[in-house]
Amino acid sequence: MEERTGPPSSQNGTTAVSSVRKRTSTEESRRGPSRPLTQAEFERYSRQMIVPGMGKEGQLRLINSRILIIGAGGLGCPAAQYVAGAGVGTIGIVDGDVVETSNLHRQVGHSTSRIGMKKVDSLITHLRHLNPLPRYIPYPFHINAQNAADIISPFDLVMDCTDNPATRYLISDVCVLVQKPLVSAASVQKSGQLIVLNCPPAPQGQLDGTTAPCYRCCFPKPPPPSSMVSCGEAGIMGPVVGMMGVAQAGEALKIISSALNIPSSTQPLDSEVVDRNLRQPYLLIYSYDLEAAIGPMSFRALKMAGRRKKCFACGENSTLSLEGIRSGTPNYEQFCSLPAPKHALSAEERITATEYQNLKERGLLPEHHLLVDTREKEHFSFGAIDGAVNFPFGKLLMTAAQVKRDKSNGGAEPQTQMILPNELALDTVDGNAPIFVVCRRGLDSQEAVEKLKEMGLDDGGKRKIMDIIGGMRAWKEEVDSTFPFI
Amino acid sequence: MTSKPPKGRFNMLYFASAGSFTRKQVESLPAPLPLAKLFDTLEKRYEGIRESVLDHSLVTINLAYVDMDDDEPKGEDGRPIVIQEGDEVAIIPPVSSG
Repeated sequence: MEERTGPPSSQNGTTAVSSVRKRTSTEESRRGPSRPLTQAEFERYSRQMIVPGMGKEGQLRLINSRILIIGAGGLGCPAAQYVAGAGVGTIGIVDGDVVETSNLHRQVGHSTSRIGMKKVDSLITHLRHLNPLPRYIPYPFHINAQNAADIISPFDLVMDCTDNPATRYLISDVCVLVQKPLVSAASVQKSGQLIVLNCPPAPQGQLDGTTAPCYRCCFPKPPPPSSMVSCGEAGIMGPVVGMMGVAQAGEALKIISSALNIPSSTQPLDSEVVDRNLRQPYLLIYSYDLEAAIGPMSFRALKMAGRRKKCFACGENSTLSLEGIRSGTPNYEQFCSLPAPKHALSAEERITATEYQNLKERGLLPEHHLLVDTREKEHFSFGAIDGAVNFPFGKLLMTAAQVKRDKSNGGAEPQTQMILPNELALDTVDGNAPIFVVCRRGLDSQEAVEKLKEMGLDDGGKRKIMDIIGGMRAWKEEVDSTFPFI
Repeated sequence: MTSKPPKGRFNMLYFASAGSFTRKQVESLPAPLPLAKLFDTLEKRYEGIRESVLDHSLVTINLAYVDMDDDEPKGEDGRPIVIQEGDEVAIIPPVSSG
């Protein structure tokens, strides 16, 4: 139970920070205190210790180290398995979620019998079976601006296995300020990314051409929320996220066992180690293509730059501070959140799922009315409202852009009609028959209404184009509870 | 590497959401092209891509990151970067989920 109340020696996180720094200043500590391995350790780690470059020294560094894994999902599960298996001495795991059935195809540290359990407890149960020797510290809540520095400070290295941009920026910022190396991986649908950041750590604002970048140096601007897709919405293949999590563990073990996390300034004479430092990291990207065999684009390593002079977090004039973060500056949610909605549809252009169903049932919809479903075809394939025509949102946007270009080029409309679904062909526009648009949750459909109007499908305002409020989720809640909503 | 672009062109690669937006992974575009004009060129081909994808993505030429922050991105020699025939340029949006 003592483990639940907080990290080791973290009644005051700074104690642990300074003890780590102190350790780095002496040769013996850099290599970790030398001691014989126990018989249990010797047996368990023998196969990895004989790998060239690892040895007893590398193993002792792992045993003496503390790694924090933030997120116990698709990345965190495989990452934690290998970190625990390799014998990292103290492993902290942060996550506030509970295990759900839809997690299990990829989150290999959980199990069907532990559905409903807190993910950190479920994963630690699994890890204890794998290796009882490490000390496991559960943090069964989400990391946030108030608790991040206290959670992170006592650890030697942080692994970002989270699932949203706001938390990624927060973790990176805190790692800059408390000087921790950060191994960051991400994955969605069929893509994965992996990068080692802030390694070796350097004081905020230090720019001597040898300092490693932070997350903000690589991605200064967050993606707009409209383009943000989560694994829940876009889907994720288990092996894709698993691959990234395993590779992430590989980097973390390498950094600790080879002491790459020790700032080079503290060991100026050891040129071999300096050369191995990661001041100019590479971003590894993995592209998994369901329609093709493994190919030349599957894995790429992209050479990144060092610390960015103007970086908001680690750059020259950065004003970022732990006190600021705790008191809400910067505001991470706002930084990554929705700009004011651009699509203000009038009330006449919107209809609830219930209203739509009532009109249909009472035969009040004209025969040629159209229902356009803008979900991806995979979602559509599991079920749709009777009579719906599938026109995936991305394709619709592309088509709208092409129509616009064609118009400005003097109208090459036949080409455009080719890519419209037959039911939407421009010459079939029937002024009396409204078009309804439905999507998954009711956001894309609003933009789709705007685009269809732009494309002229409203016949100069004569034909109504309406958005079904709340999308198929609302349809399930209001009209058909048996609908297989994904 | 992907197959070599035709003479007088460079390969343009689209990763993750960039590929979803353009509905393709790779195409060849006319070279030379000043790097400063890359986003305009792509916006003309794929309206809306700048705001949805390019503004927050990182760009690489021949597998190395280039800083698009300035109005006229410059190389290490201080001269404006120009994409050359045969180059491979990539748009890499951040992935956030896990």
